[in-house]
Amino acid sequence: MDDYSKLSNNKLWKSLKEFHNEDDVLKMKHDEFLDGVTDEFDSSKLSGISRRKFFALLSASAALTATACTNYRDKGEIIPYNKRPEEILPGAANYYASTCNGCSLSCGILIKTREGRPIKVEGNPDHPVSRGKICAKGQASILDLYDPERLKAPYFNGKETSWKNVDSTVINILNETQKNGKQIAIVTDTIVSPTAKKVLDDFTAKYQNTKIYSYSLVNDFIRRQAWSECYGTDEYPAVKFDDANIILTLDADFLGNEGNYIENMRKYVSKREVVDKLNFNRLYAAEGRMSSTGMMADYRLKVAPSQQLNFVLGIIYELNKINPHLQLDKSISARLKKFSLLDSADGEKFKHLIKDLNDNRGKSIIYAGDSLSKDVHLAVNYLNEVLGNTILYDYKSSFKNIVKHSTKEEITSLINSMNQGKVGIIIHYESNPVYTMPKDFGYESALKNVKTVISLTVSENESSAYANYTLPTNHSFEAWGDAYAREGFYSLQQPVISPIFNSRQKESVLLSWISANPNSYQEDIYHQYLMKSFNSDVFVKANSLADAKTFWYSALHDGIVRKNGTRQITRFNNIVLNNIKEIIPGNNFIVHLTESYFVGDGRFANNGWLQELPHPVSKITWDNYASISPITAKQLNVQMNDFIEVSLDGRKLVLPALIQPGVHERTINIELGYGRTKAGEVGKNVGFNSVELMTKNWVYSPFLFENASIRKSEGSHKLVSTQEHHSLDDTFVKDFHYSRKIIQEGTLEKYIKEPNFLNEEKENLVSITNEIKYTGHKWAMAIDLNKCTGCSACISSCNVENNIAVVGKEQVERGREMQWIRIDRYYSGQPDNPIVSNQPMLCQHCDNAPCENVCPVNATNHSPDGLNQMVYNRCVGTRYCSNNCPYKVRRFNFFNHRDHFADAYYDNDLTSLMYNPEVTVRSRGVMEKCTFCVQKIMEARSNAIRDGKELKGSDVVTACQQACPTNAITFGDANDPASQIAKLRKHNLSYHVLEELNVKPNVTYIAKLRNTHSEEK
Amino acid sequence: MKRTVLDYALKIRLPLTLFIIAVSFILTFYISRAERDSVGYAPEQPIKFSHKLHAGQMSIDCQYCHIGVSKERHAIIPSVNICMNCHSVARKDKPEIIKLTHYYNEGIPIPWKRIHKVPEYAYFNHSVHVNKKIDCASCHGDLKQMEVVNQVKAFTMTACLDCHRNPSAYLPYLSKVNLGPENCSACHR
Repeated sequence: MDDYSKLSNNKLWKSLKEFHNEDDVLKMKHDEFLDGVTDEFDSSKLSGISRRKFFALLSASAALTATACTNYRDKGEIIPYNKRPEEILPGAANYYASTCNGCSLSCGILIKTREGRPIKVEGNPDHPVSRGKICAKGQASILDLYDPERLKAPYFNGKETSWKNVDSTVINILNETQKNGKQIAIVTDTIVSPTAKKVLDDFTAKYQNTKIYSYSLVNDFIRRQAWSECYGTDEYPAVKFDDANIILTLDADFLGNEGNYIENMRKYVSKREVVDKLNFNRLYAAEGRMSSTGMMADYRLKVAPSQQLNFVLGIIYELNKINPHLQLDKSISARLKKFSLLDSADGEKFKHLIKDLNDNRGKSIIYAGDSLSKDVHLAVNYLNEVLGNTILYDYKSSFKNIVKHSTKEEITSLINSMNQGKVGIIIHYESNPVYTMPKDFGYESALKNVKTVISLTVSENESSAYANYTLPTNHSFEAWGDAYAREGFYSLQQPVISPIFNSRQKESVLLSWISANPNSYQEDIYHQYLMKSFNSDVFVKANSLADAKTFWYSALHDGIVRKNGTRQITRFNNIVLNNIKEIIPGNNFIVHLTESYFVGDGRFANNGWLQELPHPVSKITWDNYASISPITAKQLNVQMNDFIEVSLDGRKLVLPALIQPGVHERTINIELGYGRTKAGEVGKNVGFNSVELMTKNWVYSPFLFENASIRKSEGSHKLVSTQEHHSLDDTFVKDFHYSRKIIQEGTLEKYIKEPNFLNEEKENLVSITNEIKYTGHKWAMAIDLNKCTGCSACISSCNVENNIAVVGKEQVERGREMQWIRIDRYYSGQPDNPIVSNQPMLCQHCDNAPCENVCPVNATNHSPDGLNQMVYNRCVGTRYCSNNCPYKVRRFNFFNHRDHFADAYYDNDLTSLMYNPEVTVRSRGVMEKCTFCVQKIMEARSNAIRDGKELKGSDVVTACQQACPTNAITFGDANDPASQIAKLRKHNLSYHVLEELNVKPNVTYIAKLRNTHSEEK
Repeated sequence: MKRTVLDYALKIRLPLTLFIIAVSFILTFYISRAERDSVGYAPEQPIKFSHKLHAGQMSIDCQYCHIGVSKERHAIIPSVNICMNCHSVARKDKPEIIKLTHYYNEGIPIPWKRIHKVPEYAYFNHSVHVNKKIDCASCHGDLKQMEVVNQVKAFTMTACLDCHRNPSAYLPYLSKVNLGPENCSACHR
């Protein structure tokens, strides 16, 4: 114990030598510096220049430098066009109508180009289905065009080669394969282009051993199959959600990523009107996972995906009980059974549901999810028949099926032939089967038995890794095309930039192989083919008065040609009801695989903007996970981020767990599209590959598996979210968003009774500062929370418009994401089935902005038209403003993120072409935030001055407003009493977030009304 | 009292040095101001184009060539095909026109030296100014007299704001003129 006190009396030593007082140590202590550190000073060795001369030289050089400074700075060159294309005015944007290739929905787009470079994608307002709106993926897809890792030239066995070599050798191989009687297999993704289908048909005609296989990871195969059994055609109609008073979704995320969700959202919110008229539908969502649709539902029932059939039969049973006039088919009435798997709270909702469905016959719709089994679809189709809801089917706008999805038998036989060496050539036609096909098909190993593998692809992927020929194809912005995705119209796709790299249009590649002449390739070969096909298929049938050329150009200008849909409505085939197989629900876990909201089926994996978009529900970025209920987590003793092992008949996947309030106790929801191994620097090894859990031998559905077992596994993986996950049970934070009036909500019934219920508790706030009068324009925004589905199209659009940087997972973890708008998600109620509120949050442009008072350099201040301005050049990066912002909407550039993210992945000459030239590209040390798209305001102002008109608030459309599929965002001049925004600011349901701070925000929120039944009854 | 070396240094040498530094700084500041603001900058252009001839003597409207000036932000340096509207016929034998024709026929854009430049972070808009009837000469000087274009006025933020704050003094030919915006977002975004 006394060792320490003894120590202090002892001498201190640094080394054993010192302890023993050795000689050299004593010498070292004597000389301050070691030998050689100081040499003897010898003046003769110094330079001969005297002190005077040195000064003279110094001043002479200073004078010389000064004279050099007096010369004018060179300001570079201005290089105009040699022959300016008539339609291009440098500095003014051009818009070209085209078709989005991001998925098979084929939405109409307008591509904005500046000086010939595409810089933004917007929806085409003339498109009959998407009507000027596109999703977050479509908005961000522009980044793929400028992806630095796109294939730049054709490759043969890893070596760069020329197209001419490729063409001549491939044509030889094709001929040889044809002669040997071996199969030529083309594996493609879903094809929506009738002309591409024609090219494939021509190819099959030329090389008759060709077989086409269409396979996509996420598809509506089961829905089509069920529809075909019920109605004799697999082209199912669209649903008029805008005519439905009651919508019941069964594990169907129709507002998130199923069906044409852009169209669905628009139709759904047409019955969520509170401003001009009250017009409400009621949404019931029965689901096991927590989806976007579940967040929006008035009533959310927890039903595991495997119980959905019994749930539907239970509904028919109850309906039959209360309504004896329902004429049920015998085959179904025999199997009706009471559905008893609901807890007491859901039991109440179920009663409401039955009553509502019965009261709204012909005015309601039951919509089953793409991932549910065929039996559920058959039962749902029948239920809609029984209720007379078939009136809501829009046959004039049914979903076309140009190339049928291959069945599992077809794929299996392909793989058998491959293994037996009967397949001579495989062409991956912009598809990635090695990644998307379930592993037990054995596609990957079978590829090794194919002599020639050709991958036509924009950038390298898992399948091109096995290819002998990896051939770069044009990005869709560089390519011609067409789409016939829906009955009633035909859409065109045109290139807006010439191919950046040595790539070719994939159809052109096939066309030059069809010609069997290696010298036949012309750049416009498919363009000509498309025009010819358009003439014979569309122009001739259109009976237009215009000539072919005019018709073509006007179609190209509009992006679409309307056609008259002629569809025979067939009757429901009752016999199918005998085929319904019941699932006997076991007690094990159910794995439900769903498409990722933003990386899709994995095709957008290398898109940093999309990887960084927070998941609409969990707000996780850069990952997928197993979403499990809080109860399951407790049972397994699993915390957030802990690895769990999911096993299904020997297929195993270890991935982190996310405890998701609202998930059914036995459901595990995992997103597909992650865990790509070859997807470029950004996308590779992000998340976990849940395709591993899929099998070719699925029983109910390829996406749904009974009898899963899960257990806690070793280790954990940090999931990064843009919103902290506070516990719902914590009394301190529980429902704080209500108590602080961040979220204000009510029910429809309450609003009808007391329209002013929001404003009853309003206090009269007195300002302690001088009021500033805004006499001219005063820019303001309103967001209707009744219409916000959390789809994130606004964030994506803002990212592109405002040159927002991708920061990467590790920076998001530190809360340094740069997105100017975020969608806050709040839970309330019980963790096992919470109520969810979404709220887009952006700079509120407060009249009394707290950020402005604290800036030491006046870098943020107010404009006379009510904008909270941010001047990057003045900002010195103190971050006081962000500290003082009550809404936490300011973003600081901790790095030059373009340089910092993934070894300057996006900091290159190619990606720089994408930036919006009207918006500064910010760098390190600068604060930034939403500007209300000031560049668009200034553009509208300039146009108004040019046209001699007065600037109106409606002339300005911000990027988020333009993108919002439900038109929840309104922007305009609050001082214009006739404007919509002025009306919204005065609306009974309008409120400001944190109103009591009296910072006078200029973003008004319209409180959400829930259409629930009165609880008094 | 005996004068020390320190006295000399503090009382004479130091003030003198400071004075010289200050004077030379002030002189340099004002003398080099024109250069710093690029006033008088008249670089040699790849083709000896004369505004005096075209805009002055022949009175060709500015917008015949600078087509963007009333439509959008940039005035636009004309593309070669605009020159060729006339010069495919006119003065074909002159050496400068032969040069021009060569550029046109070979499809080479002409690398004109840039004279007027506002920094990248300032988003100047020509059309707003021109459509408010502000004469080109108010900023660019009397081009009709310039054989070789040079910069006449400083393109600094002070220069912009001087006019925005007191436009009637700078634009006396306009009978009615509004104040220009002074807020940051008017030019910076």
